Amino acid sequence: MRFLRKRSNDGKKSPALPDQLSPDKVLEQYKDRTISTNLEENIKLINSLLEANPDLVTRRFHVFGKYPAVMFYFSNMVDQTMINFDILKPFIYMPPHLEGRKIGDGQLKNILINETIIHSGARLQSNIVRVIDAILEADSVVLIEGVDEAFLFSTRNVESRAVGQPQTEQVIRGPREGFVESLSTNTALMRYRLKTPSFQIRNMVIGKYTKSNISICYIKGIANPDLVKEVENRLSKIKIDGVLDTGYLEQFIEDNHISPFPQVLYTERPDKAVAQLLEGRVAILMDGSPFALIVPTVFTQFYQVTEDYYERPVMGSFIRLSRLLALIFALIVPSLYVAVISFNPELLPTEFAVAVAGGRASVPYPTVVEVFMMETAMEVLREATVRLPKQVGGALSIVGVLIIGQAAVAAGFASPITVVVIALTTIGSFATPAYNAALALRLLRFFLIIMAGIFGLYGVMIGLILISNHLLSLRSFGIPYMSPIAPGNLQGVKDTLIRAPLWWMKKRPESSQPVNEDRVSGQTVQATKEPPDNPLGPKRSN
Amino acid sequence: MGNKKCTKTGNKAKLLILLLLMPLIAGCWDRSELDERALVLGISIDKADPETEKEEPDVSHLPGQEPLPAKDMIRLTAQLAVPGRIPLGPGGQGGGASPGGSQTIWPLSVVGHSMSDAIANLQQQISSPLFLGHLRTIVVSEEIARKELKDINDYFRRNPEVRRTTWMMVSSGKAEPLMRSAPEIERVPTLYLMMTLEQAVKLGKFPQDFIGVFWSRSVKKGQEGFLPYVEVQKKDNILIQGMAYFKGTKMVGKPSPLEIAAYMGIKGESPGGYQLVKIPGTKSQAVFAATQRKSKIDFKIVHGRPDFSVKVWIEGNINEINADAHLNDDNIKDIERAEAKRVQKIYGDLVSNTQKDGSDIFGFGEYVRAKAPKYWNREIRTVEQWQNMYKDVSVHIQTMVRVRRVGMTTS
Amino acid sequence: MDNTRKITVIQATAVLISTIIGVGILALPRFAVQTAETGAPLVTLLGILVASAGLWLITVLGVRFPSKTIVQYSEEIIGKWLARFGSLLIIGFFAILTSLAAREFGEVVVTTVLRNTPLEVTVIVMLLLAAVSSRHGLETFVYIHYFYLPLILAPALMIVVLSLKNAELLNLLPVMGNEHKELLGGVLTIAALFQGSFIISIVIPHMRRPGQAYKASFMGMSVAGVLYFLIVVATVAVFGPEEIKRLLWPTLELAKTTSLPANILERLDAAFLAVWVTAVFTTLYSSYFLTIHCMSKLFRLRDHKLFSFFVMPFVFFYCDGAAKHSGTLPNHSDCRTDRSDCDHWLSVSAVGGFHHTKKKGYT
Repeated sequence: MRFLRKRSNDGKKSPALPDQLSPDKVLEQYKDRTISTNLEENIKLINSLLEANPDLVTRRFHVFGKYPAVMFYFSNMVDQTMINFDILKPFIYMPPHLEGRKIGDGQLKNILINETIIHSGARLQSNIVRVIDAILEADSVVLIEGVDEAFLFSTRNVESRAVGQPQTEQVIRGPREGFVESLSTNTALMRYRLKTPSFQIRNMVIGKYTKSNISICYIKGIANPDLVKEVENRLSKIKIDGVLDTGYLEQFIEDNHISPFPQVLYTERPDKAVAQLLEGRVAILMDGSPFALIVPTVFTQFYQVTEDYYERPVMGSFIRLSRLLALIFALIVPSLYVAVISFNPELLPTEFAVAVAGGRASVPYPTVVEVFMMETAMEVLREATVRLPKQVGGALSIVGVLIIGQAAVAAGFASPITVVVIALTTIGSFATPAYNAALALRLLRFFLIIMAGIFGLYGVMIGLILISNHLLSLRSFGIPYMSPIAPGNLQGVKDTLIRAPLWWMKKRPESSQPVNEDRVSGQTVQATKEPPDNPLGPKRSN
Repeated sequence: MGNKKCTKTGNKAKLLILLLLMPLIAGCWDRSELDERALVLGISIDKADPETEKEEPDVSHLPGQEPLPAKDMIRLTAQLAVPGRIPLGPGGQGGGASPGGSQTIWPLSVVGHSMSDAIANLQQQISSPLFLGHLRTIVVSEEIARKELKDINDYFRRNPEVRRTTWMMVSSGKAEPLMRSAPEIERVPTLYLMMTLEQAVKLGKFPQDFIGVFWSRSVKKGQEGFLPYVEVQKKDNILIQGMAYFKGTKMVGKPSPLEIAAYMGIKGESPGGYQLVKIPGTKSQAVFAATQRKSKIDFKIVHGRPDFSVKVWIEGNINEINADAHLNDDNIKDIERAEAKRVQKIYGDLVSNTQKDGSDIFGFGEYVRAKAPKYWNREIRTVEQWQNMYKDVSVHIQTMVRVRRVGMTTS
Repeated sequence: MDNTRKITVIQATAVLISTIIGVGILALPRFAVQTAETGAPLVTLLGILVASAGLWLITVLGVRFPSKTIVQYSEEIIGKWLARFGSLLIIGFFAILTSLAAREFGEVVVTTVLRNTPLEVTVIVMLLLAAVSSRHGLETFVYIHYFYLPLILAPALMIVVLSLKNAELLNLLPVMGNEHKELLGGVLTIAALFQGSFIISIVIPHMRRPGQAYKASFMGMSVAGVLYFLIVVATVAVFGPEEIKRLLWPTLELAKTTSLPANILERLDAAFLAVWVTAVFTTLYSSYFLTIHCMSKLFRLRDHKLFSFFVMPFVFFYCDGAAKHSGTLPNHSDCRTDRSDCDHWLSVSAVGGFHHTKKKGYT
């Protein structure tokens, strides 16, 4: 808690300042030191603290031609034009309305900030440590002889990616915007979708060295206040050198660290984040990461995509069902195959069984080993494809899938049916929209294959029961992971296997325990039930 | 919260250890690859020739030591699938080893004192474990069937691999040729045998009668079972020669295929087969095909004996007319009447035949047991009692025939 | 916030249903037919009625003491030491029940599917599964039951529906059956299949509104009862009573006879067995959970996790011992008689307790 700071304002523009000490030993000494009125002393101090930074610019000038002053900033992180025209110019040129006015000793500070400076992000600060922090945040700092506070200006301009298509969550229909690395852009992307004072953001800083800005976004009046408190509480316990992505945070705030299943959802899509906020969840954004974390998360969210809601309900449900089927395929098809071939071949139609036996006749290994090897090969191939540059990746996947599969069969290394099974599974796992959930399933698939290799169908069943029991015992921020299915909730179930029409889902899902439950107005619901007017129908004769 | 987390973590760690241990405590006891199993697709059972006893290997017992079952030995022929001979996918040009018309199955023949003895002998001769999960047809020679089917039934009932939907049939003469026959139309011969019967069921040529049905019918107190009666033809195709009906576990009679229709008629099963009818008053004949059959079996207790009345409604089409008769309303009425008469005669004959043999394949006894339990408990109670009584109950058959359609031509 | 009262009526119902439906479903038609031949459905109904009476007693007692489990309130009713002895008996009974169920399950698996796998292995895997899962709290316990419910009901119903095409009405007549043997024994044996319903006694103290336990009991009993009834009807209608007498597990044979339309799966027995594992698991899990839950209450511990692995060896060795002693399978209806005897004892003591409280209430 010591070096963290919570701020209740919106923090739309101003970057957060650590209000307490930074942990660096050097700065520790100057904990309570304030800006002195002696300019040279200040310059010496700041230069000594930021000594080995060649990109630190120290620009001396005279305010209104009279008062000696100095300006500090990091040359590569700031907006140079802004510094020139919005900061330096008003400092140096005395505006006409001040001509001839006598400036008293203590007045300079007030006159400058109130009447002269036209930069909106200007503020005053007396603590030297905070001034240093501000410089590190890419603010510009102006110190003036005889003034006991420093002028800080938000001038940050770090090169950042333009808002573009979210790479990992493509949709056919729906917004094309994705989060970028810049926190301010990301909050802006969310805020323009949520024009309400209830949309609130709490900031905090995590990381001893990275001092990453974290924003906890929620909608007041929908999100459960206990939940917001708990999120803050868990985040505030993180004391670490640095966080480089929201993935770091996820690992600290999840409930069960060993479970293969992700208990925190991440998304690259602002529309999805907003949709989650509207369901009473909390989003965690971080400067430098294009992924927002969503808590609490339930299992069903991992196969839901925003497009389900943008398409009409029947189509949405259909797509979702096929995705669910793919998910199940990815998990159990190889183990079922092993169980049926090695343990219960009587389940196959006789003619097919005889043919499969023929196809397998040249394979030297038991089915379980065969499937295991092919699955492993597939995992390797997939990993290789992910890491390779796009141009090479396509070629590799063709080589992998076509040539290796064909060759394996021709060499009598794998039976053709195995190749079909592996292909089905792989495609199935690609159809799961959440990469981390798909990973969990991929991992558990191996476990199931082993179980099938030992006990056949019985083993598959035992494995599935074990997995389901684990899922049912998981909690995400106290919310049962399998809700709304497991503690049955009628409202929630409308959005699990199928996607009910929006006006059926009158209430927010209970799984996130929202404060305000209604989301569709009763009148709208009523209106959907009435027959539509037909102003363009066949004309009635008078 | 912290405490909870801690225990959860402990839990997971233990679970992980458990999972890691599992493969160690467990082997793969039951794993047996599909291609390593000897898939038995069909089995035929014949009476072995007396001199074949020498052929028997000493697998389940040593000669002269154990008290052998005092029965004739059986010759068991199994049809095994040869892996690799039946290619995956269409056509035969798939893999390297082109089957090119060579045998896809491998018929093996052994002798034994009982079913399991014979199976053990068979197992001794082949490398892979026998697998009966795909056993689709069991053929028993008439000789065996007339003698006793009990032991054979017992073996198949006990084995959990055997399907209840397997077809069991009785062959005229030796059963072995059916296992060795190789009809060209199907890749797996025994499947052809099975398809023949299953299609027969669909086309109304035979009632549904897989082994499970046969078993439950034969153990019922007021009913007996029956099996299809088949014969191999010249082209290795299979002819359904009729049905073999049983008394208990012994075969007692074999009516002709036409009488199968009679059976199905009495039971009211659809669709039906074809029948040639003479159009009354002319020299021409019409072929009548029954499409719908309904029956109602009723009984009264008359003089301490059940007296059955069977009413059968048959609906059908005219499929063919020989010579130059023209159909008209009167004609059709006549045809209906003539057909009804004929059918009634056939039905009556079948019933009296079965009565002679004391084999109630229609389950008349079940009607008594179900609908007059008091009478049943007082007078009959057991299977034997009913078998005796069935011989002289009276069965009255009434048939009504309707011609529904005459096809695409009006004449 | 009251954390312990979270279970809704539907969840309690689900717990009851999935606890009741278990190993017994495979042999049930045989028990019923052995008693009354074609009267089997009727006997089943009678069995359900008897079992309902027992369940009703437990529910009444539970509702009377809405925040206590049977271990706790029995001390109030019949005195501390007697009650402790009784609780010990209950614990022992359910421990034995667990091992018998596990053993019967292992027996089915070894006979039909995994014929070379040692019985001990299948059983120990199942018990481990129950033990691991019983480390979770009651909330997860309820979720697990709730989640598996469709998986338990659907295949049974599917088989009933699919088998209809082979059904013969005559097999069900006469409704009263032709011959009866030990009608009472048969009814009680079937009632004993429902003894899992005892689980309601530990569910009630955690229900959101304990008063609604009646509703849960009623619904749970009806659904499980209807399912059992349907299975008996379907099995008898397809096979006829005489055939069922010759079948060890008629329900399994029913699954064997039925095949999915269009030959998706040629036979359903292995698939049915696989899904049936879930039903067995929930039943085992319940009785195991009940055992350790009652133990923790008896020893006044806050948490039952301590016992979850501690009890397992006992259950396993009893099970193993039972397997070795009782020998071949058809004899193990003896176990069932033991079970129903225990059951009677339980009901008698429950009735005693009930009268006692009534008296207390009046004076």
